[in-house]
Formats: sequence, structure tokens, C-alpha cells
Amino acid sequence: MTEGMNKDLRRMIVDMTVAGRDGHIPSAFSIIDIITYLYSDVLKFDSASPDAADRDYFILSKGHGCLALYVNLHRHGYIGDHDIAQFCKKGGILGEHPDMTKVPGAEASTGSLGHGLSFAVGIALGHRIKKMDNKLFVLIGDGESHEGTVWEAAHIAANHKLRNMCVVVDWNQSGMQLLPEDDLPAKWRAFGWHTQEIDGHNPGQIETAFRAVADKETDQPSVIIAHTTKGKGVPMIEGHGMWHHRIPNAEEYAQIMEALS
Amino acid sequence: MSPEKSLRQQFADTMLSVGQADENLAVIVGDISHGILQPFAKACPGRFFNIGILEPTMVSLGAGMARVGLYPVLHTIAPFLIERSFEQIKLDFCYHKLHGNIVSVGSAFDYSNLGSTHHCYGDFALLKTLPGMEITYPGSAVEFDTLFRQAYNNDLVTYYRLPGTPHGVEFKASDIELGKGIKIVDGSDITLIATGPHLRTALETRDRLSENKMDAEVIYVHTIRPMDVDLVHASVNKTRAVVVIEEHMRSGGLGDEVLRETRDISDVRYASASIPDAFVTGYGGYEELCDSVGLTVDGVMSLIADKII
Repeated sequence: MTEGMNKDLRRMIVDMTVAGRDGHIPSAFSIIDIITYLYSDVLKFDSASPDAADRDYFILSKGHGCLALYVNLHRHGYIGDHDIAQFCKKGGILGEHPDMTKVPGAEASTGSLGHGLSFAVGIALGHRIKKMDNKLFVLIGDGESHEGTVWEAAHIAANHKLRNMCVVVDWNQSGMQLLPEDDLPAKWRAFGWHTQEIDGHNPGQIETAFRAVADKETDQPSVIIAHTTKGKGVPMIEGHGMWHHRIPNAEEYAQIMEALS
Repeated sequence: MSPEKSLRQQFADTMLSVGQADENLAVIVGDISHGILQPFAKACPGRFFNIGILEPTMVSLGAGMARVGLYPVLHTIAPFLIERSFEQIKLDFCYHKLHGNIVSVGSAFDYSNLGSTHHCYGDFALLKTLPGMEITYPGSAVEFDTLFRQAYNNDLVTYYRLPGTPHGVEFKASDIELGKGIKIVDGSDITLIATGPHLRTALETRDRLSENKMDAEVIYVHTIRPMDVDLVHASVNKTRAVVVIEEHMRSGGLGDEVLRETRDISDVRYASASIPDAFVTGYGGYEELCDSVGLTVDGVMSLIADKII
């Protein structure tokens, strides 16, 4: 995998936003490289059988990044061209936050921050009761990490030694605009998690980190703290500002597509 | 099963019995009732979690367990389990269309002297806003055991509000059906509809009324949602006078439900014996707080004198 390989998916995200007249492009670009790697190289799944009992789970807890999930579900056959075309349209199944009851492959209906990790811990405890060994991956935001429930769940997962659980923190510095004194790696270590820190857009580091999770010999749950950039890949929308929830006009669209060409 | 048996002990006994028969039952508690649940924990290893004091996450955990096909039972004190964790019930269970069981103690002002931080008078009102909720208020051990067995593995989220004081009236399991009220006594002049411990209040009020030549019909409701509309409607249509007696805030409780479902009947005199829409800040114990808000025979009698007669 090389940096920039996900330009096709980034272009698709922009097209969906323009067609649907809604969407969070920078949040999706922040996590697209990690989610794409997960679906390509890590997760065990069968899109023809989304509820297969032996599947791995991926929960996008920061639901507003869902465009990065949708384009991967499309790439792997969970949803079709028609679904993509109907993003945020009447009768469509894809909205600005994923709805588990509508979207094949979406494991949770997220949007309200601070729910996905706790829900996933329940799934992991349920798997233990049922003597199943499925792996769970949960992607949360750094802003989302302001929520107390994130830490309640982290506390439980470590104490119950949920070794099959891996959290990815999308550390795009969003939360640090408000609470700048935040040392996320120290926090996760203090909670007893196997902690790694990577560049969330660097293909080699992403691969190495997930391999380390797979090879880990302790019973600790894992966390990969990914340094990311909102809007990564298109300099004009990178960072924190008006692009958080903005639809490009025709001129901006052309500039974005040029950057992603 | 004694009508005076504690609801909380029955909860533990039912978990043991159902848990031994169904390996998909899992119980999560928030650092209460763990002593009496040890028989369940020992008989059903790996399926009991005294998870800690983190109620919203406890609810999410239960939803996650439901996602993989288990039947979760969540248990702690009502204000923390319902009010503090409301969004987790709403989204992680109801929006996901997942099933589950929520069993509270300490509703209304059962934890009287602990004050308003440990009171919960608005749980019916809150939970009624959620699609996919069943709301029960079993007032005796046999009711909890029977309602739980009827509902624990269905497709909905079922709330069981366990009162600290049983009503003391004896029922058989065959008397109890989820969603069905029970006509305790026939009458023609006024309908007394009671839920929870105040079935006893209703029956004693009926005796008092009969001394005044008033013939009261007593209806007992253990399922708040779905309420037994047919039974309530027929009784109110007959008597055209109704008092609803409940340990819940006036807004959003059983009384509101009765009013809505009988609005097509003309000339109905209505009164609500309930908790005012305010914090109950007094002390002295459960009975004293009931007295302070008029949830006594004397209180209901004076309400009838003011609003009905």
C-alpha cells in the first residue's frame, strides 16, 4: 500500500457529498486510510453473509465519518451503486450516520458519541459467554474521547482482559482545540491497554501496528493511537475550520478533484 | 409464593431458575444485589457480572450482549439505571431494535431518606417515549416471576420496576398476563385504578367508600405499557368516575394513559393520586413520604371528596 492509494475512495466521498448535499468530508478523509486497510487486510468477513457468526466486527463509533465506511462497504460488495447514489436521499439507506438496521455490514448505529466502545465491550463479553473468538475493532475520535463512557468501557475491557478487542483512536487534534492538555497514549497505558502510536496515513506504520495487534501475546486489549489530519489528501480542506461540514461549490469541487487526481 | 415475599429476593430466585434453564440469560448488576445473586453466579458461571458503578456503560454492554443473541438482564437503582442511562436505553437498545430486560429497585421514593438523588418518579414517563419498550410494575413476587418468564426472551426491551413494598394481595401465576389488567372487585359508582404497592391503598379505600354507600370497582394494572385499554375503558365507561393511584409523577404516568384512552367517554370525573410534579424533599421513611403526597387511604378519600363527589 502506498500513500495516496485511496484517492479513488476520497473522490467517491466527495462525489457522494456533492450529490447528497450533505456529509463530513474532512472527518472521512481522516480515517479512510485506516478503514480501508482494515477491510482489505485485517477483517474476516463475507459480504454475502453480513451476519455470519464467525465474522470480525468493525464499529465506527465516530459515526459522522461514515462516508469512509460506506465507500469500503461498497468496494467489498455489501452495498451497491444504487445505495451510494441514494446517499442522504429519500428512500436511501445511507444517511449521515450509519443505521445498523438498514446498512448491511454496519455493526452499530452510531452518531451520538461515546456509545460504540461500550457497545463493543458488550459484544466481546457476549462472545466470551458463547465461547466465540471473534475479533472486534472500534474506531473512535479524539474529540469523542472527551466522553466519560469511553473510559468506563476502557476500564472494563482491561479488567476483563478482552484481548480480542482493538480500538483505533483517530487523533486528528480535534479534541485538543478545546482541551489541549491531553496525553492520550499515557491515558490508555494507564488504563492497562497495549498501546501503539502511529501516523494514521502511513501505510507501513498502519500495517506494522495491526500486525503487532495480531501477534500480541498478552491478554490486554489493544489501542492504536493514530496521528491523523482532518481532510488529509486535499490541502485546501485540511485542518479544523469551515470544511468540517461543508459541501463544495462547483469551483471548490474542481479544485478538490484536481488535488485528488 | 408468599404475597409478602420481597421482590428483590424473587428477582434473584427467578434469575437462578431461568438462568439454569436458558444458557443465554446473562445478568449485569451495578454493585447491588450481588449477595443474593450468588446462587445464580455459581450455577451459571461466566454469566454474572457485578460490573461496577458505571450505569450508562452497563446498559450499552447489555445491548452488545443482545447483539450476539444473549438475553441480558440489567439491574441497579432506578434513577441511575433509567434517568442517567436514558440515552443508552434509547439508542443502544431501542434504536438498534435489540431486546433486553431492565430491572430496577429504588423507584419513586422507595429509598426515602436518601433524598432526591436516589428517587425516581418519572421513569414511566421517560420510557414511554421509547419505541419497543414494555413497562411493568409487578407488585408481588409471583407477578415478577410470571411477567419475566413471559417477556425476557421476546423482541422488546422490558422494564420491571420492583417496589420495595409488595402490595400483599395474593395472586396465582395463572392470573398474570403481560399487558392484561386484573379486575379485583366489581363496582358501579367509581373506578379505582391502582398500580404497584397501592393496590392495598385502593382496596382499603374501597372499604371506606362502602361505609359511605359508594360502590367502587378496583382494577389493578401491573403492565403500564401496553396498558389494558379494554378493561380500563369498560370500567370507566360504566362508572364515569375514576381515581388513578400510582407512585409516579403526575405527568406522564398511568393516570395520563388512562385519561388518553378514555377521552371519548363523556362526563367522566377524574382524579390523580400521584406524586406532584416536584421533588419530594422530606424525610421520615417510605410511609411518611406516601403520606406527604396523599398516597394513603385518607389522601385518596379527600381527593374523592374534592374531585369526584
